[in-house]
Amino acid sequence: MSKLLRAAYRIAWKDVVGDWRRRATLSSMLFFAIAVLVVFQVAFDPDRLEATRLLPGLLWVTILFTSLMGLGRVFQAEEEDGALEGLLLSAVPRGVLFLGKWSGNLLLTLLVELALLPLTLVLFNVDVWGQLPAIVGILLLGTLGLTGLGVLLAAMTQTARSRETLLALLLLPLTAPLLIAGVQALAALLQPGGEVEPWLRLLVIFDLVYLALAPWAFGWLVTE
Amino acid sequence: MIKWFSKWHGVVFVATLLTLLTGLWLVLSAPADYQQGDAVRILYIHVPAAKMSLLSYLFLTVASGMYLWRRQEPWDILAEASVSVGAAFTALTLASGSIWGKPMWGAWWAWDARLTSMLVLLILFMGLMALRNALEDPHKAARATAVLAIIGAVDLPIIHYSVVWWRTLHQPPSFAGPAKQTITGDLLPPLLVMSVAFILLGAWLLMVKSREVAARRAWETLETERLEQSHG
Amino acid sequence: MQPSPADARLQVRDLHHAFARHRVLQGIDLSLHAGECGVLLGANGSGKSTLLAVLATRLRVQKGSYQLLGLDVRESAEEMRGRLLFVGHHTHLYGHLTPLENLLFFADLQLITASEERLRAVVAAVGLEKFAEQPVRWFSAGMRKRLALGRMLLRQPELLLLDEPYSALDRQGVIWLNQVLQSYLTAGGMLLMASHDPERIAALPHRQLYLRRGRLVQSLEDEP
Repeated sequence: MSKLLRAAYRIAWKDVVGDWRRRATLSSMLFFAIAVLVVFQVAFDPDRLEATRLLPGLLWVTILFTSLMGLGRVFQAEEEDGALEGLLLSAVPRGVLFLGKWSGNLLLTLLVELALLPLTLVLFNVDVWGQLPAIVGILLLGTLGLTGLGVLLAAMTQTARSRETLLALLLLPLTAPLLIAGVQALAALLQPGGEVEPWLRLLVIFDLVYLALAPWAFGWLVTE
Repeated sequence: MIKWFSKWHGVVFVATLLTLLTGLWLVLSAPADYQQGDAVRILYIHVPAAKMSLLSYLFLTVASGMYLWRRQEPWDILAEASVSVGAAFTALTLASGSIWGKPMWGAWWAWDARLTSMLVLLILFMGLMALRNALEDPHKAARATAVLAIIGAVDLPIIHYSVVWWRTLHQPPSFAGPAKQTITGDLLPPLLVMSVAFILLGAWLLMVKSREVAARRAWETLETERLEQSHG
Repeated sequence: MQPSPADARLQVRDLHHAFARHRVLQGIDLSLHAGECGVLLGANGSGKSTLLAVLATRLRVQKGSYQLLGLDVRESAEEMRGRLLFVGHHTHLYGHLTPLENLLFFADLQLITASEERLRAVVAAVGLEKFAEQPVRWFSAGMRKRLALGRMLLRQPELLLLDEPYSALDRQGVIWLNQVLQSYLTAGGMLLMASHDPERIAALPHRQLYLRRGRLVQSLEDEP
């Protein structure tokens, strides 16, 4: 068991270290997120009150687009010199391979979110600093399911023509529950008397379903 | 299976046509609704079409699961065909709902929970088609679409409930969606006949589409073999 | 319980494989004993690579049976992957990792526990100790091939599958590889390789297997 976890950890380690050494995904995701924020500001030009109302949707839309960018690259690393074949020839179950790829992507996405969050609050001049831990918690819950489903879809579209577009086409409708629950949970948190709990439950259900289903689905997908 | 389809699709076609004509005659001769007027007649298309959309997806899920389990090509052919059939019924559901909505709501579209779910379903069907087209290797395409179909089957109920919660908890529905109307009494016989007609129509479309898919694949195989032989 | 190398055996019965309607393998019967080396000879498209991919468990067995050390591929593919090593045209190396890190990655995914000294010893054995800390990206094809083949030194596999192992190796590399393979066979390993040039294998005791249009035949002389 610990050996299997070690194998999953090694895959995640390889992806994160590779990203760090090449300064590839992390930095471009971050700059892309900032660009999205600027676009929002220019397009809507919200005042302070509007900004607080818009914040939940704005955060999630930025996260969704930014994570699409990271997901497009998750399996690019395995195209190098038959690396995916190497993974599939290893002695661990396919679900463990998925777990490794997923946790690597989860870590990168969370890092980007942690940088993005304070930046958004500063740029949009929204004072919800007291709620910060709760906001981070909601983002974390949403990101678990988002990256779980996303990594699976990335594996599915890896060899497809115009895969980035296809990935967006598949991911956006399937994450609709996540977007609804994530936005509503944040909105309920930020307004007095809002009910957060039902939305948190929906987020947890989504996470559990995908984390249970995705490793199996990955196995079916790669077994020729 | 395909041979069986070839033999029977003519019979199914005639049965579909007869039931559909009977159903339409019943729909047009039924009295207009005292509240909705003639617009209610659209529901006789809208409701069976919506049922068939979901039934197509159910069928797709079963075919996909069977393909992943047994890895036999006929299941994949059925899956590919049911995506097209399902997309057609879903598009019809949305179009008829929208036509119904114009006189009833005064707008072509409202973010009603059921319509929103149907829209997501249509995008999912489109995604399944796009994924199959985008993958060069037919085996990989078969596996990927089968897995996606199963993920969708798990996701659709979650999508539906989240949309319902969103529309009800967030802002209470100001008007009922087209599918929520209850139909009783005189209006029941035409609906029943139309439902049967749509089931037959779905079966016929599935048979014809499966034959087309099978024929196209056979032709592609021949073409590859011809190319391989001419290259030695 | 580890089976002793003496009863290590590979058995293939009536193996078929088809891509769509294109039949590539049409009834292969093959068995290998401990310490035995089989060399697959045949034209391009005769099915050599497909056979190796099926034996490596990279491709599913569609029809027929395949047993390794008494394990059946339909039930214990993962365990079999831990007992065999496949080195094909791809080296499965990650360019941004050093040779040491690449070996560590391989070890963790094969569930092998290897100390750093062990990893360094392997890197030295393949003649790359001077480059142990450099990213593999800058290595020549021959250096990559040596490193990929060096994986067998980390833990002796029971079955070694090689697809054109001599390509990209210079004269010294060929001599080195033949020495490694010789001691591998002496230790009781089984080896099956596909090769185009029988001259380089001449140094090894081996059995020639002729593959034509997906069948094993007596000789290739009447090839049209």
